[in-house]
Amino acid sequence: MSRSPLCRPHEHRLSRRHFMGAGAATLGFGNMLRPVVAEDLRDKDRQVLCIWLDGGMSQLESWDPKPNTQFGGPFRAIPTSVPGIHVSELLPKTAQQMHHLAILRSVHTQDNSHSAGVARINRGDPKERGVVYPYLGSAVAKLMGPTKTGLPPYVWVKPGSGGFKTQDAGFLGPSYGALALGDAKPPANLLPHPSLTSADYQLRQELRTRFNERFGKRRFNNEMAADTSVYDIAQTLMRRMDLFDESKVPAKDVVRYGSHELGRHLLMGRRLIEAGVRFVKVNSYHWDSHGDHFNSSDCLHRQFDQPFAALIEDLADRSLLDNVLVIVLSEFGRTPRINSHCGRDHWPEAWSVAMAGCGIQRGAVVGATNALGTFVEGPEHDIGHLFHTWFQALGIPKEHMEYINQDQPLPVAHDDFSAISELLS
Amino acid sequence: MADKPQTDEPIAALTPQPIGKPIEYERMLWHARFSPDGQWLVAVGQDAKIVRWTVADPTEENGTGLTQGESLTGHNGWICGLAFHPKLSHLYTVDSWGQLACYPYSQPETSEPLWNHQSAHEGWIRTIAIHPTGTRVATGGNDGVVRIWSTVDGAPVSHWAHGSKVMSLAFTPDGKSLVSGDLFGIIRQWDLDTGKSIRELSAVPLYQKHYNQECGGVRRLVFSPQGDRLAATGQKEPKGGFATGTPCVIVFDWATGDVLREMVVGDQNDGFAYDAMFHSSGNVVACSSAFPRKGPFWLWHPESEQALLIDKKLSNGLSLSLHPDGRRLALLTSNAPNGNGRGLKDGEYPGGRSRIVLMQLST
Repeated sequence: MSRSPLCRPHEHRLSRRHFMGAGAATLGFGNMLRPVVAEDLRDKDRQVLCIWLDGGMSQLESWDPKPNTQFGGPFRAIPTSVPGIHVSELLPKTAQQMHHLAILRSVHTQDNSHSAGVARINRGDPKERGVVYPYLGSAVAKLMGPTKTGLPPYVWVKPGSGGFKTQDAGFLGPSYGALALGDAKPPANLLPHPSLTSADYQLRQELRTRFNERFGKRRFNNEMAADTSVYDIAQTLMRRMDLFDESKVPAKDVVRYGSHELGRHLLMGRRLIEAGVRFVKVNSYHWDSHGDHFNSSDCLHRQFDQPFAALIEDLADRSLLDNVLVIVLSEFGRTPRINSHCGRDHWPEAWSVAMAGCGIQRGAVVGATNALGTFVEGPEHDIGHLFHTWFQALGIPKEHMEYINQDQPLPVAHDDFSAISELLS
Repeated sequence: MADKPQTDEPIAALTPQPIGKPIEYERMLWHARFSPDGQWLVAVGQDAKIVRWTVADPTEENGTGLTQGESLTGHNGWICGLAFHPKLSHLYTVDSWGQLACYPYSQPETSEPLWNHQSAHEGWIRTIAIHPTGTRVATGGNDGVVRIWSTVDGAPVSHWAHGSKVMSLAFTPDGKSLVSGDLFGIIRQWDLDTGKSIRELSAVPLYQKHYNQECGGVRRLVFSPQGDRLAATGQKEPKGGFATGTPCVIVFDWATGDVLREMVVGDQNDGFAYDAMFHSSGNVVACSSAFPRKGPFWLWHPESEQALLIDKKLSNGLSLSLHPDGRRLALLTSNAPNGNGRGLKDGEYPGGRSRIVLMQLST
């Protein structure tokens, strides 16, 4: 039984009879009160590929077009592979993959600033409990662990520099941070110097391990564990340098995904998923189109469309969509109003999130905005709803949706919200 | 830049004075132009309507002399360009869904187009220009193609691959050539007889690769009445996430292709110089758009080192049109709220509006 004297949020939703009866009988107190055990989920091999479009993708030029309306902009809506569902003409290739996708058009979140919005969305905006919650990638790394391949559970493909990014992990501790591959390249100086023999290398590792163990004995070991895990990751990657060998990538894939940054990075994202990384995040920056938005969109949305459609097509062809959850996410959408710079500003009021893959409906649109696209019509859905939905799609049992932080039980997602059942298959 | 042109003639001052109160319109417009006979002012923009005003002399009751009539409909998306036939009362318009249409515009009641092509281009048509004789109209768009059409019936005459997004077109005043400006700041001169590209001018400072965005481009091309100079408008050096830079007009010597003057007016992030025109005084008049009181209206003679007038009160300018009398100027400005989040006004979610400022030009 847990040593924690604190009650858990989900306990408040159970009747005592339920709690003492069916719940206790089937799970036992011990199981019910334990945090989710990553090993339980490891065999399921479910994975996540999250595409983060930093700055905010316009819902009106992508998933929720409103052509010929006041705020609809210059572009047309086009039919998709699912009769009755239309997307912006800037996503022609994605439109042909719509039968694999689900679009949530009723997203309503709380922040219209980047500084707060990025973290809030990435963390699922749980209730304030005095701790810094982990980003989705770190959460999945904690809840599900690495796959059987032993590859690092959370890999972040991003423009710019790489390294081990611990800040995503929040209270989970630095071990659950992201291994960032700057410009999809391996970490610098990953391989030992050629002059070092394998025997010498082994001796050095043993010495390092002994020093670390001694150093860590009388110290708080979170950082020590992170340090050790980074070395373990490095060892694993050294055995998988083939992942970074571009000569092994078929030329036709390079063409299909595109030679631009997002194309190259999404292709790497697919390869990391195929190799067995649990959670891959692929970032694209500079979507914050306050000025000249429609020319920007014509450029950026097409840069997204090409590799995203190729990715979905590939995952579907290889039956990986049965196991891989794909998410397209930003910190918010963009204002329906077109400003004097011919731009769109920040808009958390009514925007869209697209997803595909394991546990998710295919060829579905859930939720709606009004005719002008200004506000949600019907139920609004916050990021907390989506975290519940995604955790459920990944097979994480509802009753295990909590962390234990220094004996304090914490729900993994906003405890007032629940999964959006229409999105789940 | 070419050697600075020298002249002994004093440069004429040009003073704009507003006439009456600005005309308000409830949606965002892109262009407002006087008809060749000066009897109409026509505007197009984001509501896909062709908005018309009759033009008369100002009176005490009607300070501008403009009276709004019925709008013409039939377009979709945004109407992004218009061109008047020089002699007939025909108006040619293009929209962002690829439609080219020809309307009679001078009768008060609404009318169907005389002819139209729903798919004149694949997608967004950015620009339209009419030959000085009125026999041909040229269109260009995001599909990277320049198309020439008969103004009589809309029959296609020819088409040329520019190769990248065509954002601006202009016929030379002698009617022998067409010039097209693209996203990358390349200006091509096309021989109308052969259909060949015979020269390229560089307005490359108007293009920017801003992170992963392709920005800028030649937003408008305009010849001086004598045909000796060509102005290309756009922006330079965008900063930050706005992808907008400093308004800029590049003036070329058309004979040599050399740059006479690069007119950079405004602050960083002021946005684009959207329009320019050559006044008979020799001054280039330009407008630029940004947030209120930032993108200025300006006058600059290419033979002067600096702008003669920079007026931030006449900010947010999107188009300029000189009345055939040479004394009146219509400046179209936008008045669009900006800012993150709801920004409700009296419980309503406001969109952008437009304002047309009529001005008297005196030298």
